[in-house]
Amino acid sequence: MIKLIAVCAVSAFTGVMIQKSRAQDQELKIGVVAAESGSFVSAGNTIVAAARLASQQINDSGGINVGGKTYKIKLYIRDNRTDVNVTIAAARELVNDIGVTAIWGTETHDFSVSMAKITGSAKVLQFSGNSSLGAVLDDKSVAPGGWLHYTFQTEPQEWQRSGSTAEGVLTLLTPLLPHPPQHSVVFVGNDATGQYLSSHYVKALEARGQKVDLVKYPPDTTDFSPLLTRIKGLNPDIVHFWYNGDSTLTAFPQALKLDVAPSYFLFGVDPGIYQQRQLKSDKPVTLSCVPVCWGASPSPVVQEYFKKYFDLGASKGPQSSVSLLYYDYFFMYAKALEKVGSIDKPDQIVDALLSMSYQGVVSPVPLTFNVHHQVTFATQVSLVKPGTSDQFVSTIQQPPPSPPPGDPGG
Amino acid sequence: MILAFLIAFPLLNLGYRFLSLAITTGVTAIALYGLGIQFGQAGIMSVGHAAFVGIGAYTAAIVAGMFGIGFWLAIPLSIVMSALCAGMVGLPSLRVGGQHYIIITFCFCALLQIILTNGGTFTGAATGLDVGSIDHLFGINFDQLRNIYYLVTLVLIICLVTTYLIINSPYGRTLRAIRENEMLARAIGINIGLHKIGVFMVSGAFAGMAGILQAYYLRHISPILYGPFPSLYLALMIMLGGSRLIYGPLIGAVIVSFLPEIMRLDPIDSRIAYGIGLLIVVLLLPGGVSAGLLDIYRRLRPRSLK
Repeated sequence: MIKLIAVCAVSAFTGVMIQKSRAQDQELKIGVVAAESGSFVSAGNTIVAAARLASQQINDSGGINVGGKTYKIKLYIRDNRTDVNVTIAAARELVNDIGVTAIWGTETHDFSVSMAKITGSAKVLQFSGNSSLGAVLDDKSVAPGGWLHYTFQTEPQEWQRSGSTAEGVLTLLTPLLPHPPQHSVVFVGNDATGQYLSSHYVKALEARGQKVDLVKYPPDTTDFSPLLTRIKGLNPDIVHFWYNGDSTLTAFPQALKLDVAPSYFLFGVDPGIYQQRQLKSDKPVTLSCVPVCWGASPSPVVQEYFKKYFDLGASKGPQSSVSLLYYDYFFMYAKALEKVGSIDKPDQIVDALLSMSYQGVVSPVPLTFNVHHQVTFATQVSLVKPGTSDQFVSTIQQPPPSPPPGDPGG
Repeated sequence: MILAFLIAFPLLNLGYRFLSLAITTGVTAIALYGLGIQFGQAGIMSVGHAAFVGIGAYTAAIVAGMFGIGFWLAIPLSIVMSALCAGMVGLPSLRVGGQHYIIITFCFCALLQIILTNGGTFTGAATGLDVGSIDHLFGINFDQLRNIYYLVTLVLIICLVTTYLIINSPYGRTLRAIRENEMLARAIGINIGLHKIGVFMVSGAFAGMAGILQAYYLRHISPILYGPFPSLYLALMIMLGGSRLIYGPLIGAVIVSFLPEIMRLDPIDSRIAYGIGLLIVVLLLPGGVSAGLLDIYRRLRPRSLK
C-alpha cells in the first residue's frame, strides 16, 4: 500500500513538474507562406525545409529567452499553391486568425509585395528572399509608418550580386579563352524577375568592359533553338543563361548541340545538379547559385548546413540552395527578440535587426541589414573543368562597393 | 436564400482565410457574369476574358499612379475602358464566328500580356504596378476585410440583378434569337452587328468592374494575372457552373475557388478534377452544374407544387 502511495505521489509530482515546465515554455508563432505545390514548388519547398531546420535547432537548443521567458517556435506553414489569391488568404489567416509575429516567404516578387500590404499594416515582420524587392524598398517605404517598414529583403541588392557574379564569371573564364572576352550575350526569361535581374547584370558586365546583347525568351519556352541560333549569329565570347535554373537546364544542352559560344555561364545551376545530370562540355562553363551552392561549396560551415538540411529529408534540387536565403534569419530574429526582451514590440524588433550583425551560414562575414532593410553577402561562382561533370574550381566574390555607372542601385 | 447566405457569410466566423477566398471568388463571379451574358445569352464564347479584367485593373492602377485618382472615381473609368476595348476586340466577330473568334480572343489576351510585360514604367513591365487602399466612404474603412467583402458582395448582387434584368428583357430575347439562329434573326430585322458589339461591351464592363476590385484588393497587379491561363480558367468556370442560368457564374466561381481549398487538392490534382468535371458536365449536364441542380430540384419537388 505504502509502495502504491509512493508511486502515485512520485507520478503526480513528475506530472506537475512536466506541466510546470511546459507552462514555462511560451509559444512563438511564426508563419511560412511558400509554394508547396504549383509551378514554384521547387523554390517553395526549400523555404519550408529551411524553416523546419532552423526552428528545430532553436527549439532543441532550449528555445529563445525573451524577457525571462522561454519561447519555443511553432511554425504555421501554409501552401500558397503558386496562386496569389491563396497567398493573400494564407497571409490573412496567419496574421488575423493565428496571430503570428513574423512571416517567412514568399518566393516571388508579386506575391511578396501583395503580402507585405497585409503584414505591414498588421505590424508583422516579413522576411522575403526576393532581390526585386529592391525596386520598392526605399527611404519612404521603410520609414516608420511606411508600408515596408516591417519587411526585410534576405537577398543582396541586385547590383551587388550582379557585380560579384560578373566579376567571378570573367575572372574564371578569361584564362581559359584564346583572348579576353569582350562580347557577352545575356539570355534571360522575360518575366518580372528576369527583367529586374538582367537590367542590373547587363550594367555590371558593361562596367567590366563587355559589349552586351540582351536576348529575352518567353517564360515556359521549351524549344530554345531559334533564339540560340540567333545568339550564335552574334558571335559572343560568353553566353550568360540568366536567371531561371530550371529553364537553363533545358536550354543549355540545346546550346551545346548548336555550339553557340566558346564559353558559358549558368546562373542558378548548382554544381551538384550539373554533376547529377552528368552534363558535360568541352567548352568552359561557370555556374553560380542563389545564394551559395550546395554541390561544391568551399566553406565547411555551408557543407555542414547542407548535410543537416538534406538529412532532414529535403530533396537535392536545382533550388535547394535557396533555403539559405531564409535559414539564417530565424536566428537573427531570435537574437533581436532576446535583445528587445519582448515579442510584442515590432518597432523595437525592427530597430534591433537594423542595428545588429549576425554571423550566419550564408556568408563568411557577419550579416547586417542596411537602412533599406536589405542584406549584403558575397557570391560563389564555380568553374566546371572542361570535359568533366564533377570537377569544380570555386571562387567567392565580395560585392562591389557601389553600383556601376547607369545602375540606379535599389 | 443564396443572397441571405452571401450577406451572412462573415457572421459564420470561418476565419480570415475563407473570408479572403470569398472576396476573390466574388470578384471572379462579377467577371463571370459578363462572360455569362456574352456566352449564355448571345452564344459567343471568349477565352480572353481575363484581358478585360486586366484592362480594368490597369486603368485603375495607372490613373491612381499618374493622376492620383482613387478607387471611387476610377470605377467608371475602368468600366468604360474595358467596355471600349471589349467592343473593339468584338469587331472581328462581325466577320468570323465560332472557333475562329475564340482564337482571336485568345490571341488578344496573349498580346495584351506581352504589351503589359514590355510596357516599361507605364505598365510597370513584368513587375507590375502597386495600388493604394480604397478611400473611406461614409466613414466605412475598407482596410477591414469584412467591409471589402460587403463591398464585393454588393457589386456582385448588382451584377446578378443586372444579369437577371438583361435575361428577362427584350434585349435578352434579342440576344437569344441571335444565339439560336443568326441568319433568321437578321432576316427579321435585328441589327446583328450592333447587338454583338453591344454585348461585348456589356461583358467588358462587368470585367472592368471586377478588374478594379481585384487591383484594390490585391494592391499589386502584374501581367501574369491577365494572361491566357487565367482566361481559360474563367471559361472553365462558366462552363462548369453554367452560363444560361442566373446562378451559373456564381456556382462556377465557387466550385473552382473553393473546391481545392475544401478538398485540399494541389494545383495538379485540381486540374485533373476540373478536367474530369468538365467532361462530366459536357456529357451529362450540358447546361452546367446550375442547370443540373435545377433539374434535380424539379424532379424531387412534390407533384403538388409543380
